[in-house]
Amino acid sequence: MPHARTWLRILAPLLGVFIVAMIFVIAAPAHPLTALDLRTIAVQTVIVATVACGMTLVIISGGLDLSVGSSLALATVVTASILNSDSLIHASPLTRSLIAIFAAVGTGLICGIYNGLLITKLKIAPFIVTLGTLGFFRGVAKWISDSSPIQTDPSGLDLWVRPATTFAWTPVAPAVWVMLLLAIGIAVLLKFSILGRQTIAIGSNEEAARRCAVPIDRVKLIIYAIAGSLVGLAGLAQFARLGGSGDPTVQVGLELKAVAAVVIGGASLAGGSGSIVGTIAGAVLMAMLDNRCTALGWPNYVQEIVVGHIIIGAVALDRWRARRHAG
Amino acid sequence: MKSCLPAISFSLKTCLLAGLLSLAACDKKPEPTPAPAAKPAASSSAQPKLKIAVVPKGTTHEYWKSIHAGAKKAEKELGNIEITFRGPEKEDDREQQIALMENLISAKYDAIVLAPLDENALVAPTKQAMAAKIPVVIMDSGLKATPGTDYISFVATDNENGGKLAGRRMGELLGGKGKVLLLRYIEGSASTALRENGFASAAKEAGLTLIDPKRYAGATRASAQEAAENLLAANGDVVGIFCPNESTTFGMMLALKARGMNGKVRFIGFDSSKETVDAMAAGDINALVVQSPIRMGYLAVKAAADQLAGKKVETRIDTGVTLISKDTMNTPESKELLSPDLKALLGN
Repeated sequence: MPHARTWLRILAPLLGVFIVAMIFVIAAPAHPLTALDLRTIAVQTVIVATVACGMTLVIISGGLDLSVGSSLALATVVTASILNSDSLIHASPLTRSLIAIFAAVGTGLICGIYNGLLITKLKIAPFIVTLGTLGFFRGVAKWISDSSPIQTDPSGLDLWVRPATTFAWTPVAPAVWVMLLLAIGIAVLLKFSILGRQTIAIGSNEEAARRCAVPIDRVKLIIYAIAGSLVGLAGLAQFARLGGSGDPTVQVGLELKAVAAVVIGGASLAGGSGSIVGTIAGAVLMAMLDNRCTALGWPNYVQEIVVGHIIIGAVALDRWRARRHAG
Repeated sequence: MKSCLPAISFSLKTCLLAGLLSLAACDKKPEPTPAPAAKPAASSSAQPKLKIAVVPKGTTHEYWKSIHAGAKKAEKELGNIEITFRGPEKEDDREQQIALMENLISAKYDAIVLAPLDENALVAPTKQAMAAKIPVVIMDSGLKATPGTDYISFVATDNENGGKLAGRRMGELLGGKGKVLLLRYIEGSASTALRENGFASAAKEAGLTLIDPKRYAGATRASAQEAAENLLAANGDVVGIFCPNESTTFGMMLALKARGMNGKVRFIGFDSSKETVDAMAAGDINALVVQSPIRMGYLAVKAAADQLAGKKVETRIDTGVTLISKDTMNTPESKELLSPDLKALLGN
């Protein structure tokens, strides 16, 4: 069992979110954090957090994926157009939902593998490769959809991503649980599996890892494939949230939100360190600020001014903590 | 390996060159000229078609497709012009639209019809075009410049009046009291700001309490949905809602449905799409204020063509707004506004 102190260190980012929430509650007693607010924040966290979990792996390995917003849009478009095909349009909601999952995750997986192959085979920096595929995936999405949103029946998937309670068995949208389970899975993978160790090793010092016979290319390919699948799943959530719509222009700039979540969560952009708990906390923090600023009636610009510095502040705090630990 | 690289690049170049040549050949394919083809090219009947570029704010919204259809209608009717329809694919990409204007100027189009994404940012490219003797007709959204000198004419809906229609109807629906919520569209968009302000003033006049936290929905349906969810969470007690365009109306509709509030609050939207019209039929939306984008595209292109032909063009051309509710949505006039047969008009 890890020491109590270790637990505290792991959960520190969540504590940070809690403190920010408390500041809002205390500073603005007229606007309490209601159950509906919490549910809204939870459901609005799903897409960014799911993508950011994959991004955490990628960043820990010393890489970066700028193409996430585009591959997510592509996943929504592919899903909607497959569901609109003649053979599926009258299929049962269950069949349609299952196909939607395969279509979305499959699209994300293919995008991830494509990124991984380009990075490992051509030996080009991930920043450049994914900057290229950012345009490529978005272009394919617009091509498939003829640059217009494709509308189809969401087949009940929309009930999974609503802020309001739709199922008696859960206080939050079911998609939130899916996201949390995946996050736990990735955290376990990172902490206890060989792949996880190898990822950290590559990110800390790629040359040293190579000398220790870590199969660098294979590990990187798997990481980008996992990250891509998670983006695909987030795409499914986006498709459902739009009421069954494949939108080629959705989520431009998602990559920056995901990177912000990862960095707020304490990861280093230089690679080698990062935590899934931190990333989730980062994603929650951003959704919460959006929600609270609305509740307080702040215009968007106030929010942008404030949030910009909260991101910087969170990272500064984390670095200070890390230095104190080291010293 | 290296030795075959030049060969590959050479063959690539040849392909590209061949492709370009064939494209150029396509462009220069002579128009099938009527009977006396022997006449010298200088005569007026053999003049090349005038190239008019139509630049919308985006290409994904149904609304812009209607504008396109109207422009096509003018193209068919006039016969001596050729329309190029091209815009940024995301509605708030000002940079892309400015770059596009610059490219149209350098490509020497004969005239440009522009729906500016930003009332300030597009002033400079518009003036550049006019300086290059390319007349610019502004449509849909205003530009902070002088009509008649900085641009030819402003062809648009009276947006403030559209917002006022919505505000007055909201007053009637609620019997002149209650809290109404306004979800704004995007910072710097003149047309929606006029609708928002028109609604705000008419709603206040009608005795309603306006909740206007100055929250902007952003460019897409997804961002509008998130903003709407947060606003509803913060203001669960509203009895009326107004949204100033299609994406905000759609996003708000999703948020209301998710909360089970659809049909319970009075909801007036602006513009229409298949989904929002269906929602009006189902009673989730009380009324939609619609413009006539087909008419707008048509009149804007005509104004540009008139200018090129040396005719006098009015500096302000109004294209009208109509408030449609569930009881009036099935009249032929409403149907033409709500669900025009775009495929037939666009010819594909």
